[in-house]
Amino acid sequence: MNSIIVLILGLIVFFIGYRVYAKYIDTKIIRSDPKKATPAKMYMDGVEFMPTSKSILFGYQFKSIAGAAPIIGPIIAIQWGWLPALIWILGGAFFIGWVQDYSSAMVAMRNEGASFGGLSHKLISPRARVILLSFIYFYLLLIAGAFGNVVVSTAIGLKAAPMAWLLLTIGGILAGQMIYRWKKDIILTTVVCVLIAMVGIALGTAWPSDKIIGANLANSRVLWAIAAFVFCYFAAVMPIWKFALPINYVASYIVFLGLFFGIIGIFVSHPNLSLPAWKGFTIPIGPMWPILFVTIACGAISGWHSIVSSSGTARQLESEVDARPVGGGVMFVEMMLAIFALIIAGTYAPAEYGAAIAKGPGAIWAAGVSKFLGALGLPANLGSAYGSVMMIVLAVTIMQLVIRFMRVATSELLSDVSPVFRNPHVGTVVASILGIILVLTGWWQYLWVLFGGANQLMASLALLIVTAWLMSQGKPASWTFYPMVFMFVTTTAALVYTSYNLLKRVFSGAVKGEALVGNTLMGFVGFFLVIAALILAFEGVKAILRYRSLKAQAEPAKA
Amino acid sequence: MTEEEKKKVSFFQHVKEFVYGVAAHDSARFAVKTRASMEHLFILITMGDMLGVPILPPYYSLRLLPYVVPQISTWKRRMLREKDLTDALA
Repeated sequence: MNSIIVLILGLIVFFIGYRVYAKYIDTKIIRSDPKKATPAKMYMDGVEFMPTSKSILFGYQFKSIAGAAPIIGPIIAIQWGWLPALIWILGGAFFIGWVQDYSSAMVAMRNEGASFGGLSHKLISPRARVILLSFIYFYLLLIAGAFGNVVVSTAIGLKAAPMAWLLLTIGGILAGQMIYRWKKDIILTTVVCVLIAMVGIALGTAWPSDKIIGANLANSRVLWAIAAFVFCYFAAVMPIWKFALPINYVASYIVFLGLFFGIIGIFVSHPNLSLPAWKGFTIPIGPMWPILFVTIACGAISGWHSIVSSSGTARQLESEVDARPVGGGVMFVEMMLAIFALIIAGTYAPAEYGAAIAKGPGAIWAAGVSKFLGALGLPANLGSAYGSVMMIVLAVTIMQLVIRFMRVATSELLSDVSPVFRNPHVGTVVASILGIILVLTGWWQYLWVLFGGANQLMASLALLIVTAWLMSQGKPASWTFYPMVFMFVTTTAALVYTSYNLLKRVFSGAVKGEALVGNTLMGFVGFFLVIAALILAFEGVKAILRYRSLKAQAEPAKA
Repeated sequence: MTEEEKKKVSFFQHVKEFVYGVAAHDSARFAVKTRASMEHLFILITMGDMLGVPILPPYYSLRLLPYVVPQISTWKRRMLREKDLTDALA
C-alpha cells in the first residue's frame, strides 16, 4: 500500500472522529456550555488556574503528550505486520484515545479543577487515592526505564547523536541565561540557541563519539545510561528555568521542524509500505492480543494524557467548548504522528528492518527521517544525525520530567518514614538508581511492553473515574465504560503475561547476572501494578454499583 | 479590514499562539509558579498569624497589609486546595 493512502486514511478517521463522534458526545451527552464559568475563570490565581486561549493550549497539550512513545510503539509493533498496527492506531484513537483525553479534562473541569487523587477519593473511595498514587510512582519508574533504554540504544547505535545532544544541552542552558538572566530578546535567543543545536548535529557527523572517546566507551551502555540520568538529575534539582525548560524550548524547534519537513518528505517521495501487512499472531515479544495493544500506547491511547488533561489543561481552559479541540483534537494529531512513525518503519526492506530493530527503535527512526528529509535535499548523514537527536530529545524531555516528578513523589510518600527523603537530592538519586538498574538489566522490548501496559492501565483507571462521574451525574456512560473494560482486561492480561514470563525465567534459573536482576525487578513491578489495578477496579465496581442503586432509587416507580 | 484579511490575521494569530504553546507556555507557567511559591513564603512570614503562626509582630503585618490584601483570597485558596503528586507534573 502506498504511504499517501495510509496518511489519507488517518485524515479521514481524524475528520469523522473529531467532527462527528466527538461533536456528538460534546454537545449531546456532556453538553458543554460556553456560558458556564470554568475553574480557570472561577478560581483564577494567575498561576495554575489561568484562562488561556485554546490555540495556546492546543500547543501546550501537544507538547506535553507527544514524547517518544507514539513514535517507538508503531516501530516495534510493526513486527506483527503493518495492518494490525494501523487498525489499532486508527480504532484505538477513534473509540478510546480521544474519549479519555477529552473526558479527563471535562471531569476535572466540572469538579473545580480537582486532580485524579482528589477525584478518585471523591468519586470512588479514600483507599483508591492512595493506591492510585502508588501506582503512578511505579508507572513513572517504568517510563524512566523504557525511555532511558531508548536514549542509550540511540547513543550507541548512532555515533553522531551524543555530540548533537551535548550541543543541544549547551544551547538550552544558554537560552535560559539569555532569557531569564540577561533579558535578551526572545527571537535573538531562539535563533542563536537553535543554531547552536543545529551546529551540534553537523559536528556530530564530523566527529562521531567513537572518534572522540574511542569505540569501547562509545559502545558502553553504562556510560550512556549514567549520562542520561545525570542529565535528568540536573533537570530535577536545578531551578527549572536554568536547565529543564530552556532545553525543552530549544528542543521543541528541532522536533517541530523535523516533523514538519518529514511529513512534506513523505508527500514528495510517497513510498510504498514494503514490510508485510501481516506476519503472524505470535512474535518473540508475545501474542498480538494483548501485547500489540500495549506496545502501541500513546498513538492510540495513553494514561499519561489523562494526567496532563486533568492536572494541567483543565485548569486553563477558558471555555467548556474548548475541551473538544484541545483534549480530543490533539489526540487525533498524535494519532497522525503515530501513523508517520508507522510509515517510517513500514517503508523499510524486511531484511534491513530485522537487523535494525535488534539495535533499538532509534536507528529505524533516524534512517526514516534521513530518507524523508533526503527527499527534500538534506544529505543522508545529516538527516540520520537529525533523526537521532530528535529521538533522544523526545525521550529525554519526558525522562527529565518524570525524574523530577519522582523526586516530589518520593518526598510525599516517604517523608513520614524518614525526614531524609525530604531532601531533593535523595529523592532524585533514588529514582535515578532505580532507573539505571532497569536500563542496564532489562531487555528493552520487555521493558517497553511493561511501560505500555502500565500506561494503558493508567488510561483504563482514568476511564473508570470518568465512568463513575458520568454515573454519579446520571449521564449515559457506555461510551467510556466499554473502552474502560476493554483496556483494563487487555492491559492486565499483558502485564500478567509479561511479568509471568519474566519471573518464570528467574525461578527456573534460565537467566543469570544482569538479566536476573532486570527480570526480577521488572516482573515484581509488573505484578505490583496488576494487584494495585485489581484493588482499584474492585473499589471502582463498588462505586459504580452504588451509583446504579442511587439512580434506581431516584427513578419514579412504574405504574 | 476586509473579512478575508481578518481571517488571514486570525489564522496567523492561531499559528503564533500554537508555536508559543508548544515552545514557551510551560516556561511561563513554571516562572509564575516559582514566583507564587516565593509570594506564599512572604505572606506566611508576614501574615502567619492568620494561620495561627505568630512570626512577626502585628505592627509589620499591618504596614504590609495593603500589599497583601489583594492576594489573600487566592493565597488561602491555593494553600487550602487539595494537592497530590500529579500537580507536580502539569
